Amino acid sequence: MAAVTEAPPLAPAPEKKPPRKRGRFTPYWLLLPGILWLLIFFAAPMIYQASTSVQTGSLEEGYKVTWHFATYWDALSSYWPQFLRSVFYAASATVLCLLLGYPLAYLIAFRAGRWRNLIMILVIAPFFTSFLIRTLAWKTILADNGPVVHTLNSLHILSLTDWLGWTAGDRVLATPLAVVCGLTYNFLPFMILPLYTSLERIDGRLHEAAGDLYAKPFTTFRKVTFPLSMPGVVSGTLLTFIPAAGDYVNAELLGSTDTRMVGNVIQAQFLRVLDYPTAAALSFILMAAILLMVTFYIRRSGTEDLV
Amino acid sequence: MTTDNSGDVRLSGISKTYGAFTAVHPLDLTVPQGSFFALLGASGCGKTTTLRMIAGLEEPSSGSVHLGDQEVTHLPPYKRPVNTVFQSYALFPHLDIFENVAFGLRRRGIKSVKKQVEDMLELVQLGEQARKKPHQLSGGQQQRVAVARALINHPKVLLLDEPLGALDLKLRRQMQLELKRIQTEVGITFVHVTHDQEEAMTMADTVAVMNAGRVEQLGAPSDLYENPQTTFVANFLGTSNLIEAEIDTRSGEDIVLKAGGGKLVLPRTRCSAPGTTGGKVLVGVRPEKITLTHADDAGEIAEGRNRITGKIADSSFIGVSTQYVIDSPVCPEFEVYAQNIDRDARLVPGADVVLHWNPAHTFGLDPAQDIDAGVDAGEEAA
Amino acid sequence: MTFVNWLKRNLVVIAGLATLGYLLLPNVIVTVFSFNKPKGRFNYEWQQFSTDAWQHPCGVAGMCGSLSLSLQIAVWATIGATVLGTMIAFALVRYRFRARGAINSLIFLPMAMPEVVMAASLLTLFLNLGAQLGFYTILIAHIMFCLSFVVTAVKARVMSMDPRLEQAAQDLYAGPVQTFLRVTLPIAAPGIAAGALLAFALSFDDFIITNFNAGSTVTFPMFVWGSAQRGTPVQINVIGTAMFLVAVLFVLASMVIGNRKGRQKA
Repeated sequence: MAAVTEAPPLAPAPEKKPPRKRGRFTPYWLLLPGILWLLIFFAAPMIYQASTSVQTGSLEEGYKVTWHFATYWDALSSYWPQFLRSVFYAASATVLCLLLGYPLAYLIAFRAGRWRNLIMILVIAPFFTSFLIRTLAWKTILADNGPVVHTLNSLHILSLTDWLGWTAGDRVLATPLAVVCGLTYNFLPFMILPLYTSLERIDGRLHEAAGDLYAKPFTTFRKVTFPLSMPGVVSGTLLTFIPAAGDYVNAELLGSTDTRMVGNVIQAQFLRVLDYPTAAALSFILMAAILLMVTFYIRRSGTEDLV
Repeated sequence: MTTDNSGDVRLSGISKTYGAFTAVHPLDLTVPQGSFFALLGASGCGKTTTLRMIAGLEEPSSGSVHLGDQEVTHLPPYKRPVNTVFQSYALFPHLDIFENVAFGLRRRGIKSVKKQVEDMLELVQLGEQARKKPHQLSGGQQQRVAVARALINHPKVLLLDEPLGALDLKLRRQMQLELKRIQTEVGITFVHVTHDQEEAMTMADTVAVMNAGRVEQLGAPSDLYENPQTTFVANFLGTSNLIEAEIDTRSGEDIVLKAGGGKLVLPRTRCSAPGTTGGKVLVGVRPEKITLTHADDAGEIAEGRNRITGKIADSSFIGVSTQYVIDSPVCPEFEVYAQNIDRDARLVPGADVVLHWNPAHTFGLDPAQDIDAGVDAGEEAA
Repeated sequence: MTFVNWLKRNLVVIAGLATLGYLLLPNVIVTVFSFNKPKGRFNYEWQQFSTDAWQHPCGVAGMCGSLSLSLQIAVWATIGATVLGTMIAFALVRYRFRARGAINSLIFLPMAMPEVVMAASLLTLFLNLGAQLGFYTILIAHIMFCLSFVVTAVKARVMSMDPRLEQAAQDLYAGPVQTFLRVTLPIAAPGIAAGALLAFALSFDDFIITNFNAGSTVTFPMFVWGSAQRGTPVQINVIGTAMFLVAVLFVLASMVIGNRKGRQKA
């Protein structure tokens, strides 16, 4: 049977046009409150912060804009280890999330059958328990005399990670490994859901077609499934990396003073030291760095339709 | 037909442009009360836009729309006594069949809808399905719900936008008859948009063939088929063999033409070309009008028939008939459909043959047109 | 050999289930330790079974107060973000207008911004304005960061909706208001519900932005954070476990209802 539905006409699709003249201002009324909200409470604060970062003064005497860019230099030179650590921890957590999350997303999309909905619930449900409570549970799991540390120790894995600088002595808690483990855990669902969404869209017959065309299962994965899931990989890594790089909860709860990330510094400067210009400068640098990395990454992976 | 004209649809000079693109050129069209009218054309020819302007879903760039004596050009769709059966039906997925059908009645403030809805569902044979959701029905059933949902409002005019496009061939045949039956029963004016020429010819009393935003020809299906006035209609509706010929002489009611070495006769009334002697004309004949005779039997052909000689290039047997492609000096690919009544075993590829037909089946077209207009459109839509 | 083959074929299933275990392990720990009777102030080591905490869930000073505050904020933030976000989503899908690109970026950016950056900059604004930090500053912040997520969820649904449905409603004598109430809204409802649910979860569980903009107000996540320093009462685990169970039951119930209604295509 030939084409059953008519292709859309050459003209712009009728429904995409504003329906009638009387609706000319409707979109603006619909947009106004929400957009104002974002402008006032999201965009304007960014500008305030940018201006704060070039102010000098003190809490008692107040701050003035003096275009004191040295704050940026001071902030970077004092806190570059925290910046590097943030990037390194977040990148490690992102890679781990991808390695752990992909099989689960694949399982849900192609192999779960009638268990699919149950597994989806089990992936999403932990979201509803406070993430702080769940993160504290890792203190129990990774406890010094707990079964996890005991097993790792008896397998001599801890001496390897100690040598690599990921752990210290017989401990996992209060080490980089614990922080990365916590970050991975916290942001794993942000990796799994976009991966699942893009895997689920893949037509199962493509696997059969690849098999029919002499591709072994792993080749099928490498040449067909994985490339087609790229949009999910890209948005998953971004959704994991961005919040992980700015996080300070895991470093605080599972780490030590040697694992402090840039988030911890910003939080401390803002809420304890009350050095607002430095805090604002740090926050601005973090934002710029992440936006730069994200833009570069999106360009490289050629996927711009993230949301 | 009755003298009531409230179901007339009168389009006067309506057009629709989107920026620089003209979807519908200024168009005059009158659909009389109670008729089954089809707008036929390929994708993007402007037929759906025309329909949407009648429905009120699209405002014309110029011109006016009248229903009977009422001008409705600027009325929104919900104030027009017109209902539409949408392409792919647009049944409300969150409402069951009963509520879908009752939707229009309820919006007009009618309280007791039960009896009417049940009667209407009975008419389309869906009484049992009233409490099901649209996605639980088959395509054909959904189609009938869409018709019922529109008809229950007793519109002056029912608009159908490719109503059978999503159905498979067999079901489409069945629904064509079904729709025709309903139309006869309710007597409402139907305006039907389709790209399927067979569908248009089976169902409609009048067909308007549209191309590139213009109506090419309007008439009863048999008229359009037997006497096309443009190459587009000749090629889009079925298949035509078109030959370029020169006008030789005129004798009474006939025009005598020269094509290749031979002569062909064309009734003057069947020529839409400006027929001046010495000028050119495109001569057309439908493949099934032609008889094929082996060259050895050429003497047995009756006098007064148009003749062309050629060689069989290809033949394909399709059951009721055999389709031949003939290579002839006047036309490289002459198509002939022969009923399989008594098959001549000599008619195989390579055989020399004479093609002959009754001159009354010949039609003449203006040679200034593209000889292949509508060929692809016809194939795409078939 | 057959075992090796079986292993090969099901490797992805095993790996996937292992990840699922990793995801769920903390919830198991939280549940088990809600029945613990710790010796010291911290509830990190198993001592002995007890249902004390379950019998006195509000037996810790300030915890249930912070919980109810978090619930209130979450409800209001959900309402605010859902209403504003749905309006934006409809405008974006249904209308062409100027500055679309800029508006799309403005909606995308809060999701691509580390929370700590938004938190710090919003605090700068509030400090500059001399605003009193507390319930309202938290609410403002929550509506702000939930908004984008609602827009994304609703937009996806409205985009997949056949515009002919609304045209059909108009054709069947429904005016603009009726069309919206009887057709558009019911069909967009699952998207709006998904957005609202997400907003509720995000708001209820937010710590970083809240911590910056709360002043001396204590929400539930802030209570948990504070207790991690001072001592973790078992009741925290009771609340965590109860939330997990409620969430699972809620999702299961909505799925059962959804199945009964039948999956709706739109």
